Amino acid sequence: MDEMETRLIRCFSSVFPDLTTEQIRSADMETVPAWDSLAAVTLVAILQEEFGLQINLMDLPELVSFVAVQNYVRKHNVVS
Amino acid sequence: MNLVEALAISKQALPEDTHPLRTFLACGFTPLHLQTFLAAHLRKRLPQQRVELKTGLFGDLAGSIERLPSSSCDVLAVVIEWQDLDPRLGIRSLGGWRAADLPEILKSANQAAARLEQALRRTSASIPVCICLPTLPLPPLFTTSTRQASAYELQLRQLVGSFAASISSESSLRVLDLQRLDELSAPSARLDVQSELMAGFPYKLPHASAIAELLAALIQNPTPKKGLITDLDDTLWAGILGEVGTEGISWDLDQHTHMHGLYQQFLGSLASAGVLLAVASKNDAALVEKAFERKDLILSKENIFPLEVHWSRKSESAQRILKTWNIAPEAVVFIDDSPMEVAEVKAAFPEMECIVFPKNDYQAIFELLKRMRDLFGKNVISEEDSIRLKSIREAGILRESGNIPGRSLDDFLQEADASIRFAFGKQAADNRAFELINKTTQFNLNGKRLTEAAWKAYLNDPAAFVMTANYEDKFGPLGKIAVLLGRIQGKALRIESWVMSCRAFSRRIEHQTLKQLLEKFDAKEISFDYQATPRNGPLQEFFAQLLGVAPTVDLRFSRATFSEKSPSLFHHVEEVVNG
Repeated sequence: MDEMETRLIRCFSSVFPDLTTEQIRSADMETVPAWDSLAAVTLVAILQEEFGLQINLMDLPELVSFVAVQNYVRKHNVVS
Repeated sequence: MNLVEALAISKQALPEDTHPLRTFLACGFTPLHLQTFLAAHLRKRLPQQRVELKTGLFGDLAGSIERLPSSSCDVLAVVIEWQDLDPRLGIRSLGGWRAADLPEILKSANQAAARLEQALRRTSASIPVCICLPTLPLPPLFTTSTRQASAYELQLRQLVGSFAASISSESSLRVLDLQRLDELSAPSARLDVQSELMAGFPYKLPHASAIAELLAALIQNPTPKKGLITDLDDTLWAGILGEVGTEGISWDLDQHTHMHGLYQQFLGSLASAGVLLAVASKNDAALVEKAFERKDLILSKENIFPLEVHWSRKSESAQRILKTWNIAPEAVVFIDDSPMEVAEVKAAFPEMECIVFPKNDYQAIFELLKRMRDLFGKNVISEEDSIRLKSIREAGILRESGNIPGRSLDDFLQEADASIRFAFGKQAADNRAFELINKTTQFNLNGKRLTEAAWKAYLNDPAAFVMTANYEDKFGPLGKIAVLLGRIQGKALRIESWVMSCRAFSRRIEHQTLKQLLEKFDAKEISFDYQATPRNGPLQEFFAQLLGVAPTVDLRFSRATFSEKSPSLFHHVEEVVNG
């Protein structure tokens, strides 16, 4: 697990404290009932805080799973 | 605090068996992260209490407050933003920013403020209300450049200022200080335009956390400290008295020692608000006496009692001062420029707030004054605050008079020419009674504290009564010194709370209180919700002396028993509706 993934899992864990690390890795909006619009906005706020990036809320519809979020953060070349 | 920390704190296990603090957060926008931060800051401040946080209907701030049943929560937190006064003062509404719209916006903001004020006043009759005034920048809707304040903008700010000044006159309405908020959150880094438009949440996260932090402090409303012990040399004044003499010490601009003058001025302000001041100084007593004769001292010697001036350890001085004041070390702040003296006192009294006076550091002294205002700040200055020091001085005289050989306590009390005014009215605005219940530890029936909401519920309960006692004798007034809460059940009285200030001990006021109570309600029996606490020894002693046995949980006795056991009472008694 690289450092970025560890930080990402920590972010997810803050919003979905009931999920294990393995469940987080495979999490998506369909399978996690707690992942509603409120959780999505909270997750975005936490990602912005943790990685210092500005996420356009228009991109929310594509951030529907852990893998999608991971790809999004990687794509935006986050190193902080 | 960041959002991850806030979520982690909010999700910690809650203490189950405690009374919850039911908080209602009312704001016109989606509360989202503000709710999370407020819950977290409250949990942090009140770790032993279960915090429940509910929110109202978004977009309808005044309606949320108007519909709030006061019995459903213990405290209301209100966060107002400009768009709550008129939607066009926000950025989500497209209602028009034409020049011709501005008078109408101002008019509707006035109406909205009036409606809000009415709703807030109504709610504050039942529960405390903490309010945050608009914190976001006004959008660029005015016709002037952003460098120039528009007349309409100034009128809007005046409207909010007048609104705040008006509601803050109510002791149950506490307004968050925007100057303090400015220190925590830069005004230019507050509005999150994207979040406001996409999610209906207008704040950047650090700003939301700052508002929540201050609101949580307002909600907690910590008990202010009662007394301050200060050093003299290089603290109250600049210079070592023993070295430079009375004319060599200074506190003025010419000598570059003005911060000591400011410190004296600040202590004078504390004294005027009822804070007890004492001196603990390793010094020559005669020299100090002479120094206090200087006419240009900002702080009067009359404001200080006692003065412990000698060469013994400062912890011994602190011990004697605490005994004279009859208050606990946790209610006291000790200030000295010597880190060693501060450490010595702190070691003796770990509960005492001990602070090194940062001499020669202007900015640090200024910060110290602000910190002390936080430690001693109180909402309302009562009549008792103005006479507290005087009555402590007189208590010393009384103790000495009572110890004269050959004279009994009866002789002394008879000559004291004491009068007690008992009141049975239920004044919601009686902050002194509420304060006494929540800070008295020694003569306290059970140590139970009341929330503001519970206090107001008690006042509104027709089956309950509140009795207060004001005392005065030839040595001077003590003010309102006792409060008793209870219920009448047929011919029996049930006392649920009874507190008396330690300044009023040894005057048989407690006996007179019971006598008046039994007579007023023509009660045959009186029972008490009594509980021993680590601190209520004086109350236990009172019952033990009265009844001849130590009090137990099921404490009760008849009127006949009381009449038989009560000692002689010499007070002049008066009964009034509201004391």
